[in-house]
Amino acid sequence: MLSGSRTYAVIALVAALLGLFFASTSTLDYASHLDRRLHDVHCSFIPGAAPTSEAEACRAAMYSPYSALMKDAYWGGIPISLFALGAFAFFTGFAAYLCAAGARAPSAAVKFFAAVSATPFLASVVMFTISLMKLEHFCKICVGIYVSSTLLMISGVLGLARLSSPLGQAEARPRLGFMFPVVWLLALGFTTLVPAVVYAGSVPDERPYLTQCGTLKVDPPANAELVTLRGARAVQPALLFEDPLCPTCKAFHERLVGEGIYERLDAKLSLFPLDSECNWMLNEPLHPGACIVAKAVLCGGEQSRQVLEWAYDQQTDISKAGKAGPNSLKALIRRRWGDALARCLDDRKTEVRLNNQLHFASDNSIPVSTPQVYLGKQRLCDEDTDLGLRFTLGQLAPEVLK
Amino acid sequence: MTSHEAPRDSAQAAPIAGLIGSVVTVLALAGTAFAVRGWVSSANERLTTPEAEKPKVAIADQSEVAYCTPRFKEVLDRVLHSCGLASDETRRGCKPSDVKTFASISDEDFNELFTPLKDRGAVIQFDEGMDDLDPAAKKLLEDKWFARKGARYFFVVARASKSGTQTKNRALSHRRANSVMFHLKSVADDPEIDKKVGLLWLGNEFAQLSKEYCGWQTSRPDKKCDDEAVNRSAFVSWVDCRL
Repeated sequence: MLSGSRTYAVIALVAALLGLFFASTSTLDYASHLDRRLHDVHCSFIPGAAPTSEAEACRAAMYSPYSALMKDAYWGGIPISLFALGAFAFFTGFAAYLCAAGARAPSAAVKFFAAVSATPFLASVVMFTISLMKLEHFCKICVGIYVSSTLLMISGVLGLARLSSPLGQAEARPRLGFMFPVVWLLALGFTTLVPAVVYAGSVPDERPYLTQCGTLKVDPPANAELVTLRGARAVQPALLFEDPLCPTCKAFHERLVGEGIYERLDAKLSLFPLDSECNWMLNEPLHPGACIVAKAVLCGGEQSRQVLEWAYDQQTDISKAGKAGPNSLKALIRRRWGDALARCLDDRKTEVRLNNQLHFASDNSIPVSTPQVYLGKQRLCDEDTDLGLRFTLGQLAPEVLK
Repeated sequence: MTSHEAPRDSAQAAPIAGLIGSVVTVLALAGTAFAVRGWVSSANERLTTPEAEKPKVAIADQSEVAYCTPRFKEVLDRVLHSCGLASDETRRGCKPSDVKTFASISDEDFNELFTPLKDRGAVIQFDEGMDDLDPAAKKLLEDKWFARKGARYFFVVARASKSGTQTKNRALSHRRANSVMFHLKSVADDPEIDKKVGLLWLGNEFAQLSKEYCGWQTSRPDKKCDDEAVNRSAFVSWVDCRL
């Protein structure tokens, strides 16, 4: 494996090109959403595979707070894949240099490469841990970057191994001045920043679009008895339409909680289950059992938020029970929340309350998709509740981010 | 290559390798920078000059089912406007002479309009000459009221049978309509109920129900039902139509 003096450099070049490719793909997906439309995203280990609408893990990663920096200042923030893009561009060039130099590559260059090739790996370890612990999903494009970074680090180690091997020690390598590593380091920093600077300098001004998605036409009627979800440090009235079995609502809720936004909202929740069992706006159930779970949230009383968060936490199991039938689902709810809440599910008052909430949604002509978010009376566009959330809040309700 | 020559060769090779590395780095960086700028500019263009409309998303609305034909809606619209429901005016209900005017259709055609509501509606029956709701009538009325789903309007069409004078029957029909309305108000907890319930009362001179309505869901399924009995009634139903 160490027989060739260029082997490690070739591996490094392949890793850097691979990293460049995956980082480009990720950045392309991110940038395409700047037009405020929903796009399919790439989510495959196979370079060049077409984007797909069934790419929940990659979409979840993209919408997560960890996907970009400076989200308050730029709509969607500055995607971290841009930094990977710049770094891999540098590593591509440096690996090409090591390839060309072969056995004559200065040992300082090999050592420098070994040292800095660990940085993408360390960044990948951090992002991998976040994916594992926080997102509970692994985006394949991200995994592609992790693998490239790992390969790059391995190539650095192989380079070091080559230097210290008898063959390597026999190789005559020129000595370089101490300024070279400093210049290389500066070059690495520069190239890492360039794509992000270019991106930040060319992103469109999204501010005129933030208030173009309508306002609340009808106030909630008293008999709809919306669920109150007032945060501990609430400063901003908000209205949410959510479906407890909707994965996008779960991700949205987790983003709000994770970024400390939830505690700043004086939110009212109107349930909007995408289940034709109670929701006449659908011809077939998109989320079977969602009506029952919505009723469970209503029946939660003081514990409504806990019931909602339980539904989000256990969404996979609850959805399975929902598909199995109402009895399975009710049994699951009874096991977790007791007989009183289970009895409440079949109470006529609960049914009427949920129906009134659905009518409240129809009176306001909301899109039949969840979540729907209103800040005060201003409806947030769907794209501003995912990628552009922090930027939008910063513009329309800056106190929420304080 | 000897050990003495190697450093000189290395020194000669280093600038070329360095040049290759620098060129590749610059090309890779320039490529990524141009690509990033291109992607963002392209998104910006789509944002400012959209070529295609955004995909249409279904909008939440009241239910609309197959029986909401233009003819049905025309009558529904007239009823609602004539009965003061579709505006913020105080609800006043519709008396027989109004119905004659706004319906502008024959008795048969008027009743025919309600045929599609067979599964949705019910016939609340009364004793002869009476306007009280018995327990079964109350229960059926509540069942129908609370099975609202996506409907916007609730029809109450009260009637009196042909026995007795026209004046007496009109008054009786009116009282029956009111009985239904009062009971709904007592159970509904809905401040907007007047904007939802279309209240009509017909005397014996217009749109009598035929015996076939005995086959509908009635509040007295175990009792004898004939032309007389089925018209001592109030027909109630949510209407799943948008206007």
